[in-house]
Amino acid sequence: MFITDIRKDFYEVVANQRVALLVASDIDALCACKILQVLFHCDQVQYTLVPVTGWQDLSTAFLEHKEQFRYFVLINCGANVDLLEMLQPDDDSVFFICDTHRPVDVVNVYNDSQIKLLIKQDDDLGVPSYDDIFRDEDEGEGSDSGNESEEGSEPSGKRRRFDEGAVERRIERRRAKRDWEARRREILFDYEQYEYHGTSASIMFFELAWVLTKDTKDMLWWAVIGLTDQWVHDKITHMKYVTDIATMQRHVSRHNHRNEDEENSLSIDCMRISFEYDLRLTLYQHWSLYESICNSCYTSCNFKLWTLNGQKKLQEFLADMGLPLKQVRQKFHSMDMSIKENLRDVIEESSNKYGMKDIRIQTFGVHFGFKNRFLASDMVHATTALLESTEKDESASDNFIKALDSLSRSNLDRLHSGIDLAKKKLMAIQQTVASCICTNLIVSQGPFLYCYLMEGTPDVKLFSKPMALTLLCKYLLKAFVQSTRNKRCKLLPLVMAAPKDVEKGSVIVVGIPPESETSDKKNFFGRAFEKAAESTSSRTLHDNFDTSIITLKTEDRSKFLDALITLLS
Amino acid sequence: MFCEKAVELIRELHRMTDGQLPAFNEDGLRQVLQEMEALYEQNQADVNEAKAEGRAELIPSIKLRHCCLLRNQRCLTAYLYDRLLRMRALRWEYGSVLPANVRFHMCAEEVQWFSQYKKSLASFMRSLGGGEGLDLTQDMKPPKSLYIEVRCLKDHGEFEIDDGTVILLKKNSQHFLPRWKCEQLIRQGVLEHVVS
Repeated sequence: MFITDIRKDFYEVVANQRVALLVASDIDALCACKILQVLFHCDQVQYTLVPVTGWQDLSTAFLEHKEQFRYFVLINCGANVDLLEMLQPDDDSVFFICDTHRPVDVVNVYNDSQIKLLIKQDDDLGVPSYDDIFRDEDEGEGSDSGNESEEGSEPSGKRRRFDEGAVERRIERRRAKRDWEARRREILFDYEQYEYHGTSASIMFFELAWVLTKDTKDMLWWAVIGLTDQWVHDKITHMKYVTDIATMQRHVSRHNHRNEDEENSLSIDCMRISFEYDLRLTLYQHWSLYESICNSCYTSCNFKLWTLNGQKKLQEFLADMGLPLKQVRQKFHSMDMSIKENLRDVIEESSNKYGMKDIRIQTFGVHFGFKNRFLASDMVHATTALLESTEKDESASDNFIKALDSLSRSNLDRLHSGIDLAKKKLMAIQQTVASCICTNLIVSQGPFLYCYLMEGTPDVKLFSKPMALTLLCKYLLKAFVQSTRNKRCKLLPLVMAAPKDVEKGSVIVVGIPPESETSDKKNFFGRAFEKAAESTSSRTLHDNFDTSIITLKTEDRSKFLDALITLLS
Repeated sequence: MFCEKAVELIRELHRMTDGQLPAFNEDGLRQVLQEMEALYEQNQADVNEAKAEGRAELIPSIKLRHCCLLRNQRCLTAYLYDRLLRMRALRWEYGSVLPANVRFHMCAEEVQWFSQYKKSLASFMRSLGGGEGLDLTQDMKPPKSLYIEVRCLKDHGEFEIDDGTVILLKKNSQHFLPRWKCEQLIRQGVLEHVVS
């Protein structure tokens, strides 16, 4: 069931108990987890934090901890599957789920005792009504047989007529039941067909903190990072992002209202969050401007930097703005102050001429101390790179801990190492995109586009991780849409496969919806993958919380693909 | 050379930095005591001879032997006292039950001294706090909070805390637990205090 009063029905229930926190591996979940941890520290709620990467991890963690804990809080996992059936908990276990994955499974919505959903009941949920899906089966049968026994005592002369009536009624009831079941299947199919994302979990927990008046600037910053993560990884629509930014902006102005006048100015070391209408150039303040323009998806795709023409256009663009090449290739911090002052406006003006109307995006930045200035998207990229780093001897939970640490202000060196990893990742993505487009690796299979990264591709190890592969997929699709002339292909979704584990012979497959200006980011590949796997009995693992990312055995790749093509045409 | 054995004992203690307690050097002690006895006998003989026969040239050697005896005595008492101080520090660090290897290194008298010290410390601590008692050995500085956040560095299995609840300590899981329960495990290196 949905929780309406998050303070009374969630926080006050767990405040005197020991809680198990099961947290998924994405940045929004990490930020939400940090906010909740700080709240628990304030009120001395004992908890245990366990990172989980997929459904199997979740089940294992639950089995290990189910004897010791009664209350479980699941962050960014568990809403889109029938949780009670999967975990088989005891009757007194209670699950609080704060998940951005939609659609929420109907069993989770209508279970009143054990599942509590910390989700806003927005308009976009569209949960089917109770009567359309659930129905008490015994009623029809019981009344039917009751009537029969009553009528059995009637004199035999009238019996035949009554019997016919009873038989007719029974046939009628059965037909109604079949109709109802067919309608139920249709409703459920429509409801569960598309997968998408809702309000960020970190915003939910920040609002809980706000209601408890225990919110701090750190928590606000984490909420902003969680929201930005949804935008960077293309999980929410632009409209929703702008709406949520406006909500966050209200909180930011409330926090900044702390009278900073001449006499009582805050120390430079204090944390200040500010609203920025900043450039869409990834990590540009920690890199050189030139590198950032080359490696950001938006600029790279608009200029078509994998072609010679594109490179020339870039040089023209820089010349148009009057930025000398030497300056632009230097580290951003070392650029001349005179150039840095009006940089944003100058770039916006020039990019309008080159057809890039949205080079600026609304976001937030933080600064504390003289040196430390970060935009929310910088933090997202750094933390994602740490979370999915492919160093040897580091398990998923080691990376989780490192990424969690990098979100604290006191672990700046970890954050900087994350930024370096993110730079490498972005460069690898751009090079892979360039090579895929130039060698025409993307093939149209009819209902969708398909691309397979061979094992020898440079940096292919980076793309064995789901979020990195999804990012590559999105950039590749945008680049493809810019570079192809086939009008029909521009509207197709993309399925991408990359080797995941060479020893075990598995590949990771990702499907993303088609690229369009007004895309609603709804992804149907989850169900499609399931059906294709079933019909060909391919050995797949649907372990990721996002159902559109699966693992598949390399040998089954071709038959799986054929099944998918037949299914979707 | 005289007094070398005694200085050897001192050097042995000096080598063990960090408050560790080396094994009780029974042999060394006995050798020093033997040396002292030998010196004393020689001195006695010489003193008697000097007094009886009036031989003044024996006085310097008597003086030398006397100094050696004093030096030996000083070294021995320093050795024994330093060991007692180390044992006292161990009580504050480890608690009233010392690890077996440390107890192995103590001689019988030291064990006796230790139990007496324990008793007097315990009765002192019991007398504080208005008759309720206060365990002074827990926190050297006043703690900032009752609960601390710890991260598990290796798989340790199940761990029980005061109210009977059991926690599973798995690698890389984080927990928020009462401070006193975690100190032992932090010292063993199983848990790590997370300061954010």
